[in-house]
Amino acid sequence: MVLHILNRSPFASRVHEDMLRAMVNEDRVLLIEDGVSAALKAGITLLPTIDERLYALKEDLEARGLSQRCDPCVNIVDVDGFVALTEQADKVVSWF
Amino acid sequence: MANAIDRYITVAAHEVALDPEGYLVNLNDWSPEVAQALAGEEGRELTEAHWEIIWLLRDFYTRYELAPAMRPLIKAVKQTLGEEKGRSIYLMTLFPESPPKVAARLAGLPKPTNCL
Amino acid sequence: MTSKRILIVLRHAPHGSSWSREGLEAALVGAALGQEVSLLFMGDGVFTLCSEQQVGALGQKGTAPMIDVLPMYDIERLCVDEQALIARGLETKDLMVAIEYVDPAELIAEHDIVLTF
Repeated sequence: MVLHILNRSPFASRVHEDMLRAMVNEDRVLLIEDGVSAALKAGITLLPTIDERLYALKEDLEARGLSQRCDPCVNIVDVDGFVALTEQADKVVSWF
Repeated sequence: MANAIDRYITVAAHEVALDPEGYLVNLNDWSPEVAQALAGEEGRELTEAHWEIIWLLRDFYTRYELAPAMRPLIKAVKQTLGEEKGRSIYLMTLFPESPPKVAARLAGLPKPTNCL
Repeated sequence: MTSKRILIVLRHAPHGSSWSREGLEAALVGAALGQEVSLLFMGDGVFTLCSEQQVGALGQKGTAPMIDVLPMYDIERLCVDEQALIARGLETKDLMVAIEYVDPAELIAEHDIVLTF
């Protein structure tokens, strides 16, 4: 399993399109920094088919006031969860 | 982005600036006389065998804009001067310690950034 | 040190930022240390491969000589996401070197370490 870390907003950048092209079915996506805007309802429509494999960093959501606005399918993780995700992954690929 | 000047050596009445690691601050300052002076500082005698590597490095830099690490240096020597010379042991004999670093300094190239 | 297969993904255009230079520099360091390095050009990274590049307006070094030097470092595998070329109206004849079309996901699976720039 590859963990893809996205730190750009899908509303501002098209890097998520490259990320989707580089993913296979079991891969996971972690949204951090500006990438957490992809956790909104309008955001996840730009990241189709990831569903329950989508994670977002709690601290970055809270800082932006977006915690309560996430789509329910998004798994919210704290920094420990971030570490656990990287440990479970065979490799990590950053998209920025 | 010029490196800091650490000291100067005098070559044919010209002051040539060197950085803290002994590489030329201005690459345009290079001449064969500068190479001789740099070699003299380290007690190295430059033979014809040294010079062909120095010229090869200058060609390499003109073409690729970087100073090569050991592997690409060996490959370039092999391509230009043949299998016999394109070996680590041959280059180590000519430029003991670190051929890419020592020879780059003498050839007036920047310090190779991508080698140990 | 056992040899790792390293994939360097270049996604940024040359000149506008230092990302492509830094990515290529990382590739050269990896190769100089005896690792097996491949390159993947995605998104605007494909502009790094365009022929006829020159130094920047202020004389900044471009990346074209670094692409030229890759074979000297035994970096032979230059891979391109074809979609990136198509989206930019580019063809292989616009590129300065021979490349290989790949599926980015498959290429990532073949490597031990993936570094994006």
